[in-house]
Amino acid sequence: METDIIENLKKAVLEYNGEQAAHWARAALEAGIEPTRAMDALTAAIRQVGEGFGRGDLWLPDLIGAADAMKAATPILEEEIARRSQSRQTLGTVVIGTVYGDLHDIGKAMVSTLLAAEGFSVQDLGVNVTAEQFLSAIKQHHANVLAMSALLTTTAPEMRKVMHDLQKEGLRDKVRVMVGGGAITQEFANSIGADGYDPTAPGAAGLARRLTGN
Amino acid sequence: MLRGFTRRFKPLELLTQEQAEDIHRATLAVLRETGVHFESEWALEYLKKNGCLVDDAAKLVRFPEGLVEECLRRCPSSYRLKARDPKNDMILGGNTVSFTQAAGMRTIDLDTLEPRAPTRTEYVNYVKILDALPNLHWLNAYPYFGFAGVPPVMCIPEGFALKTRYSSKFAMEGASNGCEVFNIRMAQAAGAEVMSAMGSQPPLSWSGDVILQIRRMIEAGFPIGLSDGNAYGATAPATFAGALAVCNAEIISMIVLVQLLSPGHRIRAGHFAFPQDMRSGSPAFGDIGCSISNIMFNQMWRRYGIPISNGTPGYPSSKSIDYQTGYEKGMAAMLSAISGANMICLHGGVNGELSAHAVQAILDDDIAGMVGRLLAGSEVNDETLALELIEEVGPVPGHYLSKAHTRKWWKSEQYVPAVADRMSYPEWMRTGKKKAIDYAKARMEGLLAAHKPTPLTAEQEQAIDEILEEARQYYRSKGLISESEWTEYAKALEMAG
Repeated sequence: METDIIENLKKAVLEYNGEQAAHWARAALEAGIEPTRAMDALTAAIRQVGEGFGRGDLWLPDLIGAADAMKAATPILEEEIARRSQSRQTLGTVVIGTVYGDLHDIGKAMVSTLLAAEGFSVQDLGVNVTAEQFLSAIKQHHANVLAMSALLTTTAPEMRKVMHDLQKEGLRDKVRVMVGGGAITQEFANSIGADGYDPTAPGAAGLARRLTGN
Repeated sequence: MLRGFTRRFKPLELLTQEQAEDIHRATLAVLRETGVHFESEWALEYLKKNGCLVDDAAKLVRFPEGLVEECLRRCPSSYRLKARDPKNDMILGGNTVSFTQAAGMRTIDLDTLEPRAPTRTEYVNYVKILDALPNLHWLNAYPYFGFAGVPPVMCIPEGFALKTRYSSKFAMEGASNGCEVFNIRMAQAAGAEVMSAMGSQPPLSWSGDVILQIRRMIEAGFPIGLSDGNAYGATAPATFAGALAVCNAEIISMIVLVQLLSPGHRIRAGHFAFPQDMRSGSPAFGDIGCSISNIMFNQMWRRYGIPISNGTPGYPSSKSIDYQTGYEKGMAAMLSAISGANMICLHGGVNGELSAHAVQAILDDDIAGMVGRLLAGSEVNDETLALELIEEVGPVPGHYLSKAHTRKWWKSEQYVPAVADRMSYPEWMRTGKKKAIDYAKARMEGLLAAHKPTPLTAEQEQAIDEILEEARQYYRSKGLISESEWTEYAKALEMAG
């Protein structure tokens, strides 16, 4: 019975079905399955999709579809994990978002998904994220990685502001900062004092591992 | 003589009348039911007062059909664009077709194909080449995002100043951080207009910055270039029909705001949409889908009677100046031109939006020239039918080479490319097996040595210097130029003299 529920939970992610994923997450809790075990099942499923994407068998709509299905189930389980004061083994916590003034989501969503597939806990703040929102999420989730995206040459300078505010708030030493997006280059990343840059989403996931010593 | 080509035949269409009507109805439904997000309290209030349904919390505006149709009707179907040299003025709309360059971020090293920031001299030289090329009729935004040493916030004003100085063709420019204020003043100082390049933030959203920019352009009385920028399958449906309904709704929503503020204001509807590359997440630059979408878009906007631009032909997927770049650009430019685009972005772009080079622009100028020749069509009258001449020459051994008719007509009937290899094989062997790119490199050197852009007056030069300096101090005071950036910037300016 427990195995069936876990398998159904995985299957829901592999079939891009958020409704089913949420349903089986609730069913797992009702059946007395440890929420951390159910979370691990979700992570295993998204990792499988990430690997398929890496091999070239799956495509971007598969990756994002699976990520959305996972997102439908995650809060249900995380809430229960928090209620029980449990913690889950992850590679670290990443706060990620597209900077203020920029509404481009796709590249950031790819990185977000592949980070989850790697085994990070990911707090995706979405797009048009202000420096204040980044800082507040870092504090709230005790993040150890900040990942920022900008597609536009005109919005990239916003990253500099976030770096400045991190320093001002005394948070710079707490997080490793990685940046990416169409407008970003290695020189730009260096110029704002970021810890890492990668031009591709799979590369960004590997970068997060390296930055956190995993 | 105004700049540009004229299409002299019926445009290519992909949609039946019924299909076009269906897409129009779908567009109206998106505007009426789904609505468009406006990131501006002022715009929300203004649109509400003028009959739109506004959800303040969601910042969502829904547009009644009557208002949409009325505002589309208010847009002029053709108009003049004022360059700083009147001989470069353009008429936009109707059957006119003009070409411009891609807005690349950086230059590329022709040997390693690696992108890098251009020097100021390379920027100036690129602008001079664009000014010189006969089949490039106006200058698009950038052509590079600044030059080495310039902080990001000053890249657009510094670039626009160089374009104004080293080209007298009509220019368009992008804006960020309110720099349109400085661009408008520089254009005015040079006695020209500048068209803004303003894009939606798809799907179905407009940023506060763009809305502010629109108001400033209206105040200056300058034409407004609106554009979508969707990736099909990502920021719009994967299907062309649905995607077009989204793209059109984005542009039309802003047309409503502009025409309410300034009835009859000059608008250009720009299409810059791509299928999404489902591997990389980037736009599928160079994909035939871009052209399918352009042809459909052009059909719809000819129906609305609003001048059209197509942006995608200028941005190939190929990372080098090669066969792939040639076919991607050639097909796309041709299909846009014969389906009714008035402005086509083509010259110079290499590697999507990431880089551009003058040698590529010179090669592309031949594509533009050939397309322009095709657009002119073929005259059929007694003189071109030449029956008397055919009778006179008769069969072999007669020939036409010595005839006055040939001397009169051949140059306008043919297009003679500037840099294509047209040699005989022995000649080609003897002269070092040169390719088009070799001729393009040589032409670049030749144009740089020979071409003298129309200079600005001393007063105009001084005004532009003063506006730029004001912009530098403004952004420095706002903290948008850091002290380390300022040091590097000051050094770059000193080196530039």
